Amino acid sequence: MTLATPLLDPVPPTDATPALSVRDLRISFPSEAGTVEAVRGVDFDLLPGRTLCIVGESGSGKSATAMGIMGLLPPSAELRGQVLLGGQDLVGLDDPSLSKIRGSSIGMVFQDPLSALTPIFSVGRLLSDALRVHQDLTKRAAWEQAVELLDLVGIPDPRNRAASFPHEFSGGMRQRVVIALAIANRPSVLVADEPTTALDVTVQAQILEVLRQAQRETGAGLVLITHDLGVVAGHADDVAVMYAGRFVERAGVGELFRRPTMPYTARLLAAVPDVEGGARKPLVPIGGEPPTLVNLPSGCPFASRCAVSLDACAHDEPKLRHVTGHGHVACLRAFEIADGTLDPAGDTPPAGQPAAAGRAEAAEVALRGEVALRGEVVLRVEDLVKTFPVTKGALLKRRVGTLHAVNRVSFELRAGETLGLVGESGSGKTTTLMEILRLGRPEAGRIEIAGTDVGTVPSAVRHGQLRQDVQIVMQDPLGALDPRMPVFHLLAEPLRAIGRDRESIRARVHELLTLVGLDESVSDRFPAALSGGQRQRVGIARALATEPKLLALDEPLSALDVSVQAGVINLLARLQRDLGLAYLVVAHDLSVVRYISDRIAVMYLGHIVETGDTEAIFNDPQHPYTRALLSAIPIPDPERERTRERVVLQGEQPSAARMPAGCVFVDRCPLYRSADDELRHRCRTQRPEPTPAAGRPTHQYACHGI
Amino acid sequence: MLRHVTRKAAGWLLMIVVATNATYFLASWFLDPRSNFKELRPVRSEAQIDRALAPYNLDPTVPLVHRWWDWFTSVTLHFDWGKSPTGVSVNGEVGYRALISAELVVVATVLSVVIGVALGVYTAARQYGWADRVSQAVSIVVFNVPTSVAALAVVFVAIWLNQHAGLHFLYVAGENSPDVEGLLPTIGDRLLHLILPTLTLTLMGYVGYHLTQRSLLLDTLHADFVRTAQATGLTRGQAIRRHALRAALIPTAASVAFSIPAIFTGAVITETVFGWNGMGRYFIQTISKNDVHGTVATAAFAAALTAIGAILADIATVFLDPRVRVS
Repeated sequence: MTLATPLLDPVPPTDATPALSVRDLRISFPSEAGTVEAVRGVDFDLLPGRTLCIVGESGSGKSATAMGIMGLLPPSAELRGQVLLGGQDLVGLDDPSLSKIRGSSIGMVFQDPLSALTPIFSVGRLLSDALRVHQDLTKRAAWEQAVELLDLVGIPDPRNRAASFPHEFSGGMRQRVVIALAIANRPSVLVADEPTTALDVTVQAQILEVLRQAQRETGAGLVLITHDLGVVAGHADDVAVMYAGRFVERAGVGELFRRPTMPYTARLLAAVPDVEGGARKPLVPIGGEPPTLVNLPSGCPFASRCAVSLDACAHDEPKLRHVTGHGHVACLRAFEIADGTLDPAGDTPPAGQPAAAGRAEAAEVALRGEVALRGEVVLRVEDLVKTFPVTKGALLKRRVGTLHAVNRVSFELRAGETLGLVGESGSGKTTTLMEILRLGRPEAGRIEIAGTDVGTVPSAVRHGQLRQDVQIVMQDPLGALDPRMPVFHLLAEPLRAIGRDRESIRARVHELLTLVGLDESVSDRFPAALSGGQRQRVGIARALATEPKLLALDEPLSALDVSVQAGVINLLARLQRDLGLAYLVVAHDLSVVRYISDRIAVMYLGHIVETGDTEAIFNDPQHPYTRALLSAIPIPDPERERTRERVVLQGEQPSAARMPAGCVFVDRCPLYRSADDELRHRCRTQRPEPTPAAGRPTHQYACHGI
Repeated sequence: MLRHVTRKAAGWLLMIVVATNATYFLASWFLDPRSNFKELRPVRSEAQIDRALAPYNLDPTVPLVHRWWDWFTSVTLHFDWGKSPTGVSVNGEVGYRALISAELVVVATVLSVVIGVALGVYTAARQYGWADRVSQAVSIVVFNVPTSVAALAVVFVAIWLNQHAGLHFLYVAGENSPDVEGLLPTIGDRLLHLILPTLTLTLMGYVGYHLTQRSLLLDTLHADFVRTAQATGLTRGQAIRRHALRAALIPTAASVAFSIPAIFTGAVITETVFGWNGMGRYFIQTISKNDVHGTVATAAFAAALTAIGAILADIATVFLDPRVRVS
């Protein structure tokens, strides 16, 4: 329709001068397959004190954009366009001139705090070095400023901690140090590349708060790169959605979430499980995969996955155009979508796309809540204990303590049911899973699988029947699949191990591929030639090969992009319904856990502090830790995200080697802080026993204060 | 720091004692000084041979434990390492040879490390550039040349240079000239003799450091913390030198210590080619002449070199990695 609309006005009307202006930024890398056009023309202005969020899936070019702005691309990369910082164009500057700007006018926060700090220098030394690069300071003065910076980013006892080395800090604390490095010389622009992706939700909330405070303190403009739409909703002023190296939609945060106008944005939002969403709505996966950025065909790169694409979409790539009252959108049908006459999700998905299957699966998920068919008990864990010795000394290892990784954990799981284990890293959820999978006699307590106590059976049975009954799907499908085996062999291996003959293996592999929605043609491909979603489907198929009763899922979705994740969630739901599987899921993404679990057990320091039906826990959490955990999850809705009440936890989970005598949560508990002396004494000295919540016998929590 | 090094040194001293005594027993079992007399004419009787060996504490009729005790007490109390089957004092032989060998090994090791590490750093920063490819090709070729061949090649080149330049400053044999007097001329003369053997040993030694340092640095070069350092305002070169190199040097420092025995044995061939009377040649001679005490003294010398190298490496590690100081 309105193809004659004016093209994007490069400078939005505003009074303030932008702190950073990017014009037609293009980045390409040479590769064996050809030139990778990682970024293909990005424009934006960042005003001082404002936050621009760039969202996109992996491979969309968002990190390359950040590195391009910083001038930190590898030497083989080609960078074109303009990056104007305070009127100076950074593109084309040589390394010495760029290094005068990096760290003084523009600071950067990196993704992985564990590897971002030089291990052989103390954090005080790192910070004072960063200060002395740009300022003429004595060592002593720089150290004093470093201590102040550590204090600013919330490192407790900064004067003493400054002399500590990075390995003596937790991940969240290290990310605070990285932020301190970035703001050391009070830059006018901060670039944060997925700053919280490697962190727990509770720590994520703290770090985002530190970033916001750092921004307030320095008045810097912030470019926040993330894949988490919840973080965007809570922190962005403006949002740019990136797809295949370009911005496909750019708008204010309110407008974007109110009416996502580019079909990709709309579908992305529909694919994210909402932790506060009330009843389970079906997730709609986008279907297909993002395009590779080598020899990109003409036309809109999203057209092949788009439900509302026209013939014209395949010819010309639409430019970003201004849509009144919204922002800028790169879609031929933006105006129809913006005025509400067209549903971007479409009624009929394009033919030949797995989206059709996805929708059918999605419909089944919706049914799930009603069909609460529970079978016999598949897994029963009683008072499970796992400890590790803490040793000291190089030659003669002395035992100096005990790390209580799992402490008297009990739960049961029935066929057709999903139990989600949630908690921060270090809470013992993966250890619990591994203890069950080990199929050995536990240190203390009992593990019963399908009625068999694993501690008492001979090892032949353990490795035979029990191993068939329990299987695992790992977090990273690329790491979990042998790269030197084609898919057929990967799936045939467990079958051979249980002694199936050649013919039945062939038939079963075929059956498995159909079961997980993969085409027969992938069977002679190697894992490296598959996409992330396909790999995880292979991982699931392999786990299902021996017809297990119990499937342990260790962060099954965290390595997948949002648009692919929804498809795998729906697949898991369908498999469970068809095969009557029991799932034991460990995941840190609580919105995903809510989506797939029937029941949830919240773990803290090796203890289950609260357990119950998913909806009961999410709607009426009892334990203060559960409440804090739930309120830390960002919701992909700016209005709700910014107005809701939060329980912000102070500090971090203590080490399991120094277990408190009373309640394990006492150090961080908000209830404890406001409690009277008598209650405080009980919290300090008695470990609380699980008690049922009022009117709900299955919903138990361990707290003295409620 | 001082406590750390003292503790390490004590451990190494214990190791030297154990290794040396173990060598004494092994050498006494496998080396038979009596066979030296078998070729002599007129033929000696067993008793005569034993009597000839008795003054040197080598009489096979005396129980081994007694001989060992005598040897051990004389080493610990008088630092007397015994005598060869022909009655030559081991101390006298080892004294000046050790000095010659140490001269050679220390200079060659220092040069190998400096050249190898410098090349490794230079080429890692320019991975797949022409400088990297050329130097790597050269290093791989040199790596595959046996020491004797390399030594002979160096000799031929030196002779050719001497002839064409009309000079005789490159000495291809011996460790000093016999007719030089005075302190400064002696030092100069020795240094000139040192050039070619050192060059050979350095050629043999630098390659390992070049290739390992290059790959070690490449590992840390792409580490996130180097990028962080660049983001704080260091140029790429500065970030590599201050952050990546320091972390990548730690394994090299440890490996230098344990390469010293290898250089020492490599020196055997070099010493033979250049006609040096160093410890390497002495080692071969003592074994072939069934000289138990000489062999043991050589082993002790090698152990001491290793220990010194290891302690130096510890000090270097403490200097490079401040985390060691804390724990």
